[in-house]
Amino acid sequence: MPPFDIGERLRGLPGGSAIALKLDPREYADHYFAVLNAALRDVGSETDAHTIYVAVTSPAAFVWSLAQALDVPPERISFVDAISHIMMNYANPLGNATYVDSPRALEEIMLRVEFLLRKYPHPRSIVVIDSVNSLAIHNPPELLSEFFHILLNNLKSRNVLTLVLETSEEETTGVEQMLNLVVDETIDVARAGR
Amino acid sequence: MESPSGSPPVPETPGSAALLAPAGGLERCATGIEGLDNIMGGGIPRGNMVLVAGSVGTGKTTLCLEFLVRGAERGERSLFISVTESAAKLIQNLSTFEFFRTDLIDQGSLVFVDLPVVYDRLGLGHEELTREEIDIVIRTIRDLVRSLGIRRLVLDSLTSLCYRIRRDEQIRDFMLRLGEELSAAGCTSLLVSEIGPTTGRYSLHGVEEAIVDGVVLLWNTRRLGDIVRVLQIVKMRGTAHSRAQYVMELTPIGILMAPHLKGGRETGGP
Repeated sequence: MPPFDIGERLRGLPGGSAIALKLDPREYADHYFAVLNAALRDVGSETDAHTIYVAVTSPAAFVWSLAQALDVPPERISFVDAISHIMMNYANPLGNATYVDSPRALEEIMLRVEFLLRKYPHPRSIVVIDSVNSLAIHNPPELLSEFFHILLNNLKSRNVLTLVLETSEEETTGVEQMLNLVVDETIDVARAGR
Repeated sequence: MESPSGSPPVPETPGSAALLAPAGGLERCATGIEGLDNIMGGGIPRGNMVLVAGSVGTGKTTLCLEFLVRGAERGERSLFISVTESAAKLIQNLSTFEFFRTDLIDQGSLVFVDLPVVYDRLGLGHEELTREEIDIVIRTIRDLVRSLGIRRLVLDSLTSLCYRIRRDEQIRDFMLRLGEELSAAGCTSLLVSEIGPTTGRYSLHGVEEAIVDGVVLLWNTRRLGDIVRVLQIVKMRGTAHSRAQYVMELTPIGILMAPHLKGGRETGGP
């Protein structure tokens, strides 16, 4: 586990910030859980925020089971699930999730985030996008750049804290370069832990 | 023209006033659909008659219903004239939306009229309406609008009505007179136009779009096999408006819109 407190870093961010969180694939499980803990419990619960979790890497049901282990109350988190439909894993939909046909439906993802922000208006909202790499598997880079540019600007104007999860590679990829252009800061979870 | 600061004069070019002028001026009829109002500078100019054109499953009726419900909520009495679907079925569909309130109907703020029932009562049983019968239809709508103080009207669909008005000149005359009556009453109207997915025009006969003040086009497009519902304002007299494409989503809290992502590619229209 990284020795520094990710939660403290995130708590100190002003509303409207857009942050990329780089996770090391070799220590993915540890880093992912630390980030989840920081985002959902440290920032989410302690600042009384409502979190909208955009699930593209794993189904919302899986993330929800982890959130439950972190004692996150269901009224504090909603999901935009963009992966369950194409995985044909939609038999038991969650009550606090809205399901998008596929990770390619980028506008629909934007609109579902908008829908949840309106349905659960809150002075402090957090949007977690998990992850840019999963979205990149399904979408051409130009489309993904346009998506992030519009979505992050929109969330920034609404004072929403946005956390974009990113699995870092050995070399800088096009996805990382694109993300660097649209986020305010990148927190390298692995490097900060050394 | 001398600028107040003494800097070089700004040349006036044709149309520059329209480009720079604020969107204000004409009174607006806010649709209540935030995305749509935003791209029209606040709403449809009051009294405009607007064609809502699209193929099946593009959200025409839902958009029109939300326009009426939002108006009724603001105290503007609203009328839905249904030509094809029964009012009971429409209300049943509406009840799935969180923005809908049945008390709007109970208190008479939201009124539904089945046109086939009106045809029966007026004895307009012919397959093709005569000139006199068209006149009766216009007067009936005008009287409804005036007597009930209607400020928003939806005709769903104009296409179905026009199936009984066969000649282009009669359709043109019907549209012109209906538009005059509604505009005089300060009533903003949406007329639903059913078109095929690839017709290349906005109405059954092609004359309707020339008469109306605005055209809102809806269509379904595909991206890598997935269907995306798109909206574009083609024309809207009396206001500056966006001509870009937007993706539309029908949610329980109403219609939401987002820019149509293109990723640097030409996406075309319907």
